[in-house]
Amino acid sequence: MILLRRYGTLFALALIVLVFTIASPQAFGTMSNLINITQQMSLLAIVAIGATLVMVLGEFDLSVSAVVSFAGIAAAALFAAGVPVPVVMIAVLVAAVAMGAISGFLVARYRVPSFIATLAFGTVIGGLTFWISNGATMFSGIPAGFRDLGRGTLAGVPVPTLWLIGTAIVFWLLLDQTEFGRRLYAIGGNREAARLVGLPVRRDMVVAFALCAALAGLAGLLLTARLGSAHPTGGGGYLLQAYAAVFLGMTAFREGEPSVPGTLVGAAIIAVISNGLTILGVPSFLQDLLTGAIILAAVLVRNFGRDGD
Amino acid sequence: MSQSPFLALDGLVKHFGATKALDGADLVLEAGSVHALVGENGAGKSTLIKTLSGLYQPDAGAIRLDGQPISIDGPRSAEALGLRFIHQELNLVPHFDTVDNAWIGRRHPRRGPFIDGRAMRARVAEVAARIAPDLPLDKPAARLTPGQRQMAEIVRALMEPARLVVMDEPTSSLSEGEAERLHDIVRQLSAERCAVLFISHRLDEVVDLCDRYTVLRNGRTVGAGSVSDTSRAGLVAMMSGTEIAGTASGQPSLPLWERVGERGTASVSPDETIAAPAFPHPNPPHKGEGASGQNPVLAADLGFGPAGSHVSFAIRPGEIVGLYGLVGAGRSSLLKTIWGATPGRGLIALDGQVPGPGPAGRIARGMAYVPEDRRREGLANSLSIEQNLSLAHLSDFRALASIPAPSRAKIRAFAQATGARLRLVAAGPDRSPATLSGGNQQKLLFGRWLGRPIRVLLVDEPTRGVDVGAKGEIHGEMRRIAADGAAVLMATSDIEELLALSTRVLVLHAGRLVAELDGPSLTRAAVVAAAFGHAPDEQMPPSERSA
Ligand SMILES: Nc1ncnc2c1ncn2[C@@H]1O[C@H](COP(=O)(O)OP(=O)(O)OP(=O)(O)O)[C@@H](O)[C@H]1O
Ligand SMILES: [Mg+2]
Repeated sequence: MILLRRYGTLFALALIVLVFTIASPQAFGTMSNLINITQQMSLLAIVAIGATLVMVLGEFDLSVSAVVSFAGIAAAALFAAGVPVPVVMIAVLVAAVAMGAISGFLVARYRVPSFIATLAFGTVIGGLTFWISNGATMFSGIPAGFRDLGRGTLAGVPVPTLWLIGTAIVFWLLLDQTEFGRRLYAIGGNREAARLVGLPVRRDMVVAFALCAALAGLAGLLLTARLGSAHPTGGGGYLLQAYAAVFLGMTAFREGEPSVPGTLVGAAIIAVISNGLTILGVPSFLQDLLTGAIILAAVLVRNFGRDGD
Repeated sequence: MSQSPFLALDGLVKHFGATKALDGADLVLEAGSVHALVGENGAGKSTLIKTLSGLYQPDAGAIRLDGQPISIDGPRSAEALGLRFIHQELNLVPHFDTVDNAWIGRRHPRRGPFIDGRAMRARVAEVAARIAPDLPLDKPAARLTPGQRQMAEIVRALMEPARLVVMDEPTSSLSEGEAERLHDIVRQLSAERCAVLFISHRLDEVVDLCDRYTVLRNGRTVGAGSVSDTSRAGLVAMMSGTEIAGTASGQPSLPLWERVGERGTASVSPDETIAAPAFPHPNPPHKGEGASGQNPVLAADLGFGPAGSHVSFAIRPGEIVGLYGLVGAGRSSLLKTIWGATPGRGLIALDGQVPGPGPAGRIARGMAYVPEDRRREGLANSLSIEQNLSLAHLSDFRALASIPAPSRAKIRAFAQATGARLRLVAAGPDRSPATLSGGNQQKLLFGRWLGRPIRVLLVDEPTRGVDVGAKGEIHGEMRRIAADGAAVLMATSDIEELLALSTRVLVLHAGRLVAELDGPSLTRAAVVAAAFGHAPDEQMPPSERSA
């Protein structure tokens, strides 16, 4: 029972994989499909890892999907103006970091609830994105070299999967193995205690929000690279799914705290469900319905038996 | 330490808006001494040590270390000077274990860019071995007992060589045995030439443990000296200013709820019932058949908390039943289960009837509950003090009985009356409870239920962190409530309080009632023996414990 509660999310993932494998051994259970799933989950997982940082603080960043869309459009606009690839990438990431830092500053310095601050600021970013794009999809002038960052394979592994692996390792180390990570958990666990021992609470919060936005920006770049075009609401679907992934992952390893490995498991659950249901030919409205129900069920299972404490 | 003392605070002044929390506070600390800082709730003790720790900057006054004037501009710089602080509310990260908690805010040992978990643990184990060899290092703080959490804070404080450890009411939530452990550690620190500044409302403990004392009143130092030259009564007199009633200069600048004038005449004996002043009840007090009847007001036969726990008892009108037990015996879970806040197995009956589900059902039948953890379970910091006071029975404050809209004037009147009655010291009824001193927060929590017909009162550590005067008032209220025909069930780890108030004591051990003591059988020794008797291994003196 304790095991189930503690590693419930992992069991859930295993169970879901098992069900789909039995239902469709030829299509779902193959190596190439599993690799395909890692590619399908990569952008979601990258955004979700960013959200994890902010969730560790006990805050939310609801502007992530706006930043994803913005990054995609900003990159496309710069390419249309003939700016070289490295400059575009750096400029877009810097802009994303600045946006995150602003949200973080509002939350940390002025104690604006992060829900409101990032919701409002995300709306501002959304407006900016529409302004740049005139509300239209942008696809001219995106160089092939850039597009390769979001598609194709390297030594048999899809490039987006490699981005995910790199991001996951870096941020896992950052959260789990550095003082910065410990400070974030400490601030999230007891803000007053963190302040009393003199932790740089505000600075760390701003950095966490900035990193979260940076990852959303990266996901936006990769999205544009993969599609070869950018749409002003291209990142719209990531917000809810990213937080669903973080919540799903919260029991996976640490004591109910958000963590990078947990978030990976959560993102994998979401990706596997969507992949499996598509293979089984389930219509997309039913897919949404089932995905939502499964996430709810997982979170409910996790909360069962917790009343006691 | 001949010419200049190790640490001297000179005329510290600190304002919060119009409130003068410190108003000329002096303190002289000798190296390696155990120094008591005492004063009533809201006297400025916590503010003083927060100033010393760099969390607040004083508006005036000087701090001198080894005779040199210094400025402490943040917790880091206090830390660098060898000053360590254990603040009034426990400040551990609940899901961090002892090791991780000990390293918060410190430069972690590293391997390359990454923290070195093994080295971290080794260092903490080394410190813990010296002062608390049996402290679990790998358990999250949330699952430690209050005593263990206090040890974990001390371990954290001693991670690097310290010259002074400041403890703000470290024993207020500890049981006898645990407090003894802490005293041993304090003595050990002092023997190692580390000074201890010890804040406590348990004056017996102060007299036993400390060498020197400083008394604060209304933010000002009103007495200091050697503990051997004074007594418990002397300290109480200085704290309350009994001899110098009405010192105009010493008041906090906004004594909204009357304070000094009244205090001069009031008795401060903790055990004396204070005559209740005229008090506006939103509803007239309930004088049920219970006042003379012998039918129990509260009967319980239920399992609660961990499997295997089961109790069965009844409380008659007018009784104050004390609930004692070691930490972990299940006192708080039992009260919460009776209150309906956690599910239990079995039955409770109020005046012979089963109350509706949850706390709302209990409130409707006249039950009241004062929780243990005021910060987490008690107060809503986003609401004002008066709103907190009215929260538990909002419907009593309706302007029109049929419309569920509370009247601000009624709430204000209730808040004024309750505040005066418990001598709440606050800047104003519309401020946040977060601006109250710890003891005043406790009064607020208790005050919620005053002026309301009560059939059953459940209290969990009713006077934790409350000064002697206010303790007397809270005790008086509890006696009055019982005298009105209610049943009072009180969990406390303060044996003095238990013996002073209870007509009968139930001793809980591992979720079961192991003794019921009253009349001549109700003695301190009997209570302690019952609590410990069934678990002798939990009470070994520290020297006999192995690491
Ligand atoms: N942050 C704050 N804002 C406004 N007023 C405050 C603040 N902190 C403390 N005060 C006020 O300053 C006075 C001193 O409070 P302090 O916490 O130092 O008392 P204390 O002596 O520690 O009392 P206790 O024994 O109850 O812990 C109180 O009147 C309190 O209401
Ligand atoms: Mg205090």
